Amino acid sequence: MPKNNGKNIWKSIKEYENDPEILKSKLEEFKDGVTDDFNTGGMSSLSRRKFLAIIAASTAYATTSCTNYRDKGEIVPYIDRPEEVLPGKPNFYASTFSDDGKSYGILVKTREGRPIKIEGNPDDSINKGKIPSKVHASILNLYDPERLTEPTLDGKEISWDKANKDLTDKFSQLALSGKEIALITNPITSPSTKNLLDELQVKFPNVKIYTTQLFNDCNRRSAWMKSFDSNVVPSIKWNKAKIIVSLESDFLGKEGNRIENARLYAEGRDIVNGNGINRLYTFEAGMSLTGMNSDYRLKLKPQKQYDLIMSLLNELLKRGNVNESYFDSAILASIKKYSISNFATDNNLDIKKLSNLVSDLNKNKANSIVYAGDILPSETHIAVNLLNEVLGNSEMYDYSKAYISFGQQSSSDEIKQLVTNMNAGNVGAVVHLGSNPVYEFAQSFGYSEALSKVETSVALSEVQNESTNQSNYVLPQSNILESWGDHNTRTGSYTLQQPVISTIYNTKQKEDVLLNWISKISEEEAYSNYLKAYFKENVYSKGNFAADFNTFWFSTLHDGVASISPKVVSHPKFNQSSFVNINSNVNGFTVLLNDNYTIGHGQYANNGWLQELPHPVSKVTWDNYAAISPSTAKELNVENDDVLKINIGDREISIAAMIQPGMSNETIVIELGYGRSNSGAVADGVGVNANLLLDDSSKLFFENATVSKTGETYKLVSTQEHHSLDEELVKDLHRVRNIIQEGTLDEYEKHPEFLKEHKHEIFSITDGHEYNDVKWSMSIDLNKCLGCSECITSCNVENNIPVVGKDQVEVGREMHWLRLDRYYSGTPDEPIVSTQPMLCQHCDNAPCENVCPVNATNHSPDGLNQMVYNRCVGTRYCGNNCPYKVRRFNFFDFRDHFRDEHYQNELTNLVNNPEVTVRSRGVIEKCSFCVQNIMEAREAAIRNGKEFNGDGVTTSCQSACPTNAIEFGNSNNPDTIVSSHREHNLSYHVLEELNVVPNVTYLAKIRNTYSEDV
Amino acid sequence: MSSEYTQEYSVVEGKPSLRSLDEIISKPLNTKPELKYYLALLLTLTMLGIGAIGLSFSLYYGTGLWGNNNPVGWAWPIVNFVFWIGIGHAGTLISAILFLFRQKWRTGIARFAEAMTIFAVMTAMIFPIIHTGRPWVAAVYLLPYPNQHSLWVNFNSPLLWDVFAVSTYFTVSFVFWYVGLIPDFATLRDRASTKIKKVIYSITSLGWRHSNRHWRHYEMTYLILAGLATPLVLSVHTIVSFDFAVSQLPGWHTTIFPPYFVAGAVFSGFAMVQNVLIFVRKIFNYEHIITVDTLEKMNKIILLTGTMVGYAYSMEFFIAWYSGVNAEQFAFVNRAFGNYSWAYWIMFSCNVFIPQLFWFKKIRRTIPFMFVIAVFVNIGMWFERFVITVTSLSKDFLPSSWAYYSPTIVDFSLLIGSFGLFFTMVLLFAKALPAISIAEVKAVVDGAQPSHHEEH
Amino acid sequence: MSEKKLYSYTALFDTPDKIIHAVKSVAEKGYTKYDVNTPYPLHGMDDAMNLKKSKIGWVTLVFGLLGTTAAVSMMGWMMAVDYPLVIGGKPFFPLPSFGPIMFELSVLFGALATVGVMLFVLFKFPNNSHPMHDTEYMKNVSSDKYGISIEAIDPKYNQDEIITLFKGLGAESTAPIYFDEEELNFKPTILDKKFLGFLAVVAVITSLSVYGTMNIALYLPPFNWMDDQGKSLPQQTSEVFERNSSMLQPVKGTVARGFIPYKFDKQPELAGKLLVNPLLPSEENLKIGKRKFDIYCSPCHGYLAEGDSRLRDKFPNPPSLHSEKVRNWTDGRIYHVLVEGQNVMPSYSKQLSRNERWAVINYVRVLQRSFNAKESDLL
Repeated sequence: MPKNNGKNIWKSIKEYENDPEILKSKLEEFKDGVTDDFNTGGMSSLSRRKFLAIIAASTAYATTSCTNYRDKGEIVPYIDRPEEVLPGKPNFYASTFSDDGKSYGILVKTREGRPIKIEGNPDDSINKGKIPSKVHASILNLYDPERLTEPTLDGKEISWDKANKDLTDKFSQLALSGKEIALITNPITSPSTKNLLDELQVKFPNVKIYTTQLFNDCNRRSAWMKSFDSNVVPSIKWNKAKIIVSLESDFLGKEGNRIENARLYAEGRDIVNGNGINRLYTFEAGMSLTGMNSDYRLKLKPQKQYDLIMSLLNELLKRGNVNESYFDSAILASIKKYSISNFATDNNLDIKKLSNLVSDLNKNKANSIVYAGDILPSETHIAVNLLNEVLGNSEMYDYSKAYISFGQQSSSDEIKQLVTNMNAGNVGAVVHLGSNPVYEFAQSFGYSEALSKVETSVALSEVQNESTNQSNYVLPQSNILESWGDHNTRTGSYTLQQPVISTIYNTKQKEDVLLNWISKISEEEAYSNYLKAYFKENVYSKGNFAADFNTFWFSTLHDGVASISPKVVSHPKFNQSSFVNINSNVNGFTVLLNDNYTIGHGQYANNGWLQELPHPVSKVTWDNYAAISPSTAKELNVENDDVLKINIGDREISIAAMIQPGMSNETIVIELGYGRSNSGAVADGVGVNANLLLDDSSKLFFENATVSKTGETYKLVSTQEHHSLDEELVKDLHRVRNIIQEGTLDEYEKHPEFLKEHKHEIFSITDGHEYNDVKWSMSIDLNKCLGCSECITSCNVENNIPVVGKDQVEVGREMHWLRLDRYYSGTPDEPIVSTQPMLCQHCDNAPCENVCPVNATNHSPDGLNQMVYNRCVGTRYCGNNCPYKVRRFNFFDFRDHFRDEHYQNELTNLVNNPEVTVRSRGVIEKCSFCVQNIMEAREAAIRNGKEFNGDGVTTSCQSACPTNAIEFGNSNNPDTIVSSHREHNLSYHVLEELNVVPNVTYLAKIRNTYSEDV
Repeated sequence: MSSEYTQEYSVVEGKPSLRSLDEIISKPLNTKPELKYYLALLLTLTMLGIGAIGLSFSLYYGTGLWGNNNPVGWAWPIVNFVFWIGIGHAGTLISAILFLFRQKWRTGIARFAEAMTIFAVMTAMIFPIIHTGRPWVAAVYLLPYPNQHSLWVNFNSPLLWDVFAVSTYFTVSFVFWYVGLIPDFATLRDRASTKIKKVIYSITSLGWRHSNRHWRHYEMTYLILAGLATPLVLSVHTIVSFDFAVSQLPGWHTTIFPPYFVAGAVFSGFAMVQNVLIFVRKIFNYEHIITVDTLEKMNKIILLTGTMVGYAYSMEFFIAWYSGVNAEQFAFVNRAFGNYSWAYWIMFSCNVFIPQLFWFKKIRRTIPFMFVIAVFVNIGMWFERFVITVTSLSKDFLPSSWAYYSPTIVDFSLLIGSFGLFFTMVLLFAKALPAISIAEVKAVVDGAQPSHHEEH
Repeated sequence: MSEKKLYSYTALFDTPDKIIHAVKSVAEKGYTKYDVNTPYPLHGMDDAMNLKKSKIGWVTLVFGLLGTTAAVSMMGWMMAVDYPLVIGGKPFFPLPSFGPIMFELSVLFGALATVGVMLFVLFKFPNNSHPMHDTEYMKNVSSDKYGISIEAIDPKYNQDEIITLFKGLGAESTAPIYFDEEELNFKPTILDKKFLGFLAVVAVITSLSVYGTMNIALYLPPFNWMDDQGKSLPQQTSEVFERNSSMLQPVKGTVARGFIPYKFDKQPELAGKLLVNPLLPSEENLKIGKRKFDIYCSPCHGYLAEGDSRLRDKFPNPPSLHSEKVRNWTDGRIYHVLVEGQNVMPSYSKQLSRNERWAVINYVRVLQRSFNAKESDLL
């Protein structure tokens, strides 16, 4: 009786009773009789083995000779599939992206544990699921082939342990010797990181922390501090404001949290749904995105903004709109000095517009906001605060979403001090905590020379840059998508950041490094545990939550945001003594150094997608330039692409000129962030490093500059030809051809159907096809579209759009499926700008389909104009016949062609969306209305046995649009927004008279201007 | 060939004996060519080589090596295609249409013109394939043949019409040409000096016996082919013009294109034939067979068609203005005064002004003049296609997508190569086959036909 | 010479007028099997020979029309019948678009048919074995003489008469033409060694070249068929990550949307207390539950959850789910077992989604109930 681990296992009573037959039978494999009369002699001489061998061989021959079977490589399935991952099905992780002191809630789309797209997190109370281009494109930084992979000491690879040990030893020595350890960081948005830095300072008392940010809001903050004795700077309720006056502030394009600004601003222009519409006045020197969208745009140099405010105050007083008793005598006296008429004549502005502005402000007391730009001096900001105060505009301040900052931006004096110490040898070590001062600091600080005098310099960075090249220890930093974190940039918004992929290379996030320096912890989860503990202590235990901590922690990670109630402060009283009287007189050229729209202050210079994103106003890519007004250009007889020499004192650069209509005269606007060196194949040598014009003050605009032609030229490339505005032949073609249709508010109010009046009667000899099921359509509200280009980047990432490079953009081969057309009308000095997103219109009578000889493009049953890439032979006939010119041809295999295969490698290939074909050379491609999303939704409906009605499908441009200008859906369903927009009075189609019946509807822009001045 | 010839005055100067005609015409076939022939061949082969290099580069790296960009999807390759197809038309016109019109002066040049047709069409046919993004796919997918998802071709597309039109045109002209060659092959067979020649000519002549019982079907067939080729040649360039006319593009979408293209084709074709013949008659001493009268007649046709083309140019403008469509009007104003105006005026002067010189008999009959003018005509006609294709594309409906086109060195190499290919084939032809139809010429020599006509 | 077989007797004339005259008189004499050979078609010869006008035009007409119909039916079938596609909003049978190709094919068919019929049907070409070839006669008529030949098979054939007749008509020369012996006796055969060898060579060359192009050449650069794209699909390899797989494990401690981690690891009792079944025992839920149970649970627990199953004896039998213990467990408690496993039972969280687990539990409840039915259930 067999014993299996002590138990008696028996199959039958007989066995239980140890029947000998059973026991015997158990010894043999076969029962008696099974193997009888089994005569091997009778078998064929051809053994089974031989037979199979022959069969196998012949099949093998057959297959190899007759098929074109090619090895598709091995297959590696999951050994242990994680519960949440289903191969081929995307997962979403809520996280946070932070950059330049701002943070954005993101939803990272992953496939099989690899991030493939960054979307906004709808639960984010500030940004409501919208994120800027750089965040969309930053996924490419994760897969950047040039990431730092190993810690190095003077270029030689070392282990993390060695690096950390060396440094901690060094630091402790310095702690004894009392030499300074300078730690230079970008603005910190994470409470726990701040906490870590404090702990570091406790461990090493001689650590000194410098926070640098090239484009900062110090002036605003200090002014606020002076005016209200409070460091809580509120955000603005743009959506509530009826009148918005922007003074040299590109709040829609660059400043503050522009995603939020744009959304709120657009809420104030929701004319399509019959809500009111605000009026935007812009006073600026350059032509900014905000200026482009304003109802009234007046050219004014930054130095004159102060005078403007005073003149406005003066006029308000004069009209008795505000009451004298409010001001103390000093202010009153200085206000009296100004007068709006003089101001208008001095700066040759239209007095009518100015007085309109004054009456608007008066009419809309407490409902208007005057907003000064970050680069304006704090005196101007104080004056603005005063103006808002007397108009009672403090209503527009939103203290529930006030800005929080950890660590004051280091003043220029502090930097000077640091440099002198470094030169004096009083600084033992410099740590660049992800910052790049060598590039960003003004030359006149002499930072990089000083750095070479410091014995130990450390740089944490994801990619090499100017600073890593000058540091002994280069520690590879993890990408945001590989890191933990928490962010608290606004009151009432506490967001968590979780890694969505384990570190690809031997990198660490800076918090892990700091922890190691503080307390020698070096295991994997060091910081995540710290974070969890910190969160428990400072967030969980503060608010009294019902759930246990784990539940709370997990649900916070799940949502990405912690639901905490903000402590709202009330608006303090304005402190009149803060007011300062300045008088400015401008002489010589004024040079403004601006943030740029795409690559930040240079930290995204190595990102091809962002470099190729056209400038929203000039459409120039792959370069920065000196923007100059047409008339000034005429005076200096400068053409586009002429290289200018620009001197400010002893500082000088040479940079190509771009004639920008609407610029104020004798002004040069240059965007910073370009002209990088040793910072990667993409970044190097793109544009000119205009940081060289900075001086050791923190100012960003300078006067007394001299500008001269060098005689050389340098080719600036743009995605749109510049036509001169006074060329009769092409002037206002976009209006003549009804490409852009616009109206003014009271025209619209008087007769809402003004668009429909000049409609053509169009007939066709054939009757079109029926689309009974779902029919896809898109509508674009030009009142809300600001031209910010978020949609383009999102589309690029979603649809595997290749980077083509400057040489190809130059010959007009950029591949963007969605482009933002910009049209000027009016005069070169006072242009009226219109923008229009242009993508495949998915025409019912698509002209492209008729001419394709191979049926590579044809119509789907749900009304999509679809491309069959693998059928396409590339005759380009469809492109020729497309009236909207939205079809793009792969003239090369651009991944091969760009910077010789820079983006063609195992790592970067991972950024491509697995659901979208990676197009080869020689085929046409174009917008597909994100058909992959449509199919996903359709599959889901089928899987759940539901009838597919087209709900819940979004295109990536739509989900990326900060102002929700783009709507997409089933136009056969009358309840969708799209179908209501198609019926709308303001709706029109581009080039209607061609009768191609587009499925993209545009809603005409309504300009909120006084009727007499159109 | 028809009896009416005999009532006309002589096309062949003097009264050469039939045997001497054999001699003259088959001389280049039997004698070793002189140095100048080899030099010419060397030149054309070099041009062909340049083209081959350019072509292999663009096949390997992609069409990106050309100047084409996103609005301007079609440029030089298509221009060359239309140009060469146009050149082809003269041949068929001379051999078919003039045959139907009983123009006996055609006999001297018909054979050569037909050959040029075939070579021109062969040259042209290369471009539609290589201009595609994926030629290796295009070569297969453009045929009415289902792919693995049983997707067929699109018969709405003018490009597909082209595929059929051009291939039919090539086939029919080739057959026409070959049928004409059969009797000559027979003659050559019977004159053959070496065995190898004899074998070749026996095969190519299919065993022709000059039998009158054959001649009678032969003549009828030849007539029918001429009758078929005439509408065919008109249809081919009509369909080529559809590539443009059927699309929506302002400057392309015009109904005048078919006649305008055909006229243009004949125009450039005659110019090219005239150029080549001037050389041939010199090199092979055919002066008394390809007479100045013949050339003059060709010049007259050049003058006529040139004027028709000029009319078309002006008509386009009128219609554009008359249509009242802004885009349309702009397209034409832009052609004449936009940034491609230089091309437009080259075209206009070469095609309309210069041929007017042919009003003067003196110029019509002096070889150097007519030669230069014909060269200008060809330049002009090439630019016509350039103007039509590129200017319309570079500035169409949306000003936002406008862009300027400029060719690259590879574009040039392909153009040069196409000329290299064409002239190489012409030279080889002149060496390998009777450049003049022996049988036809014999038939029109004075006294070649019975003198009494009681049947009529 | 004499034993040679005579084909015809010929005469050569040197002017068109003479030959016309000669032909006329030959015709008058009533000869029928005769033919005239001239270097170019002589006008008036057809009448002299009283030949009627050629009828070959009919061939052109018939085949031309055939071409038209072939074209329209081909295009119609492809575009409207076999694979109808909406193209530019045009109807499936766009007759106007068919026009050009209908015309082209008519011309093509007509032309090719006419020439084909003439050469291969009427003339029986290619034929280089005709006795006339390689004769002096042929050499002359193909250059500058005009010849007439009367065949031996002509009923009225009489050599001497013919010679005198020709002489009388002013023939320049007269000569007989004989059949070529070789031509007569030549019998081609398939099994000829040379021929077979030739076939073999052709076969080898074609197959090699086809294989070479289809399987090798066409996969070298620059040819690109988009079959191998620069993106990574599930289960593909990738050199970037360890174990060469492009499929990764999520980072420890992260939470994906919709996947809040299981909170009660190692705490079965707590799970039993706090977890509640979100699903109602609706019909569709039970269906799902049954399907999943039969797939994943039944191999061990048996289809009826009696713990007696197909795997009996392969390892210690699993317990029956009808035991008092299990029946008293809460759903949450069972759920815990599904998530974490128990004894030899592994976790099933990989195989069963969260809802499926609850559905399975519902189904188990049904089974339990069916085994311990109360009378009330019967009513």
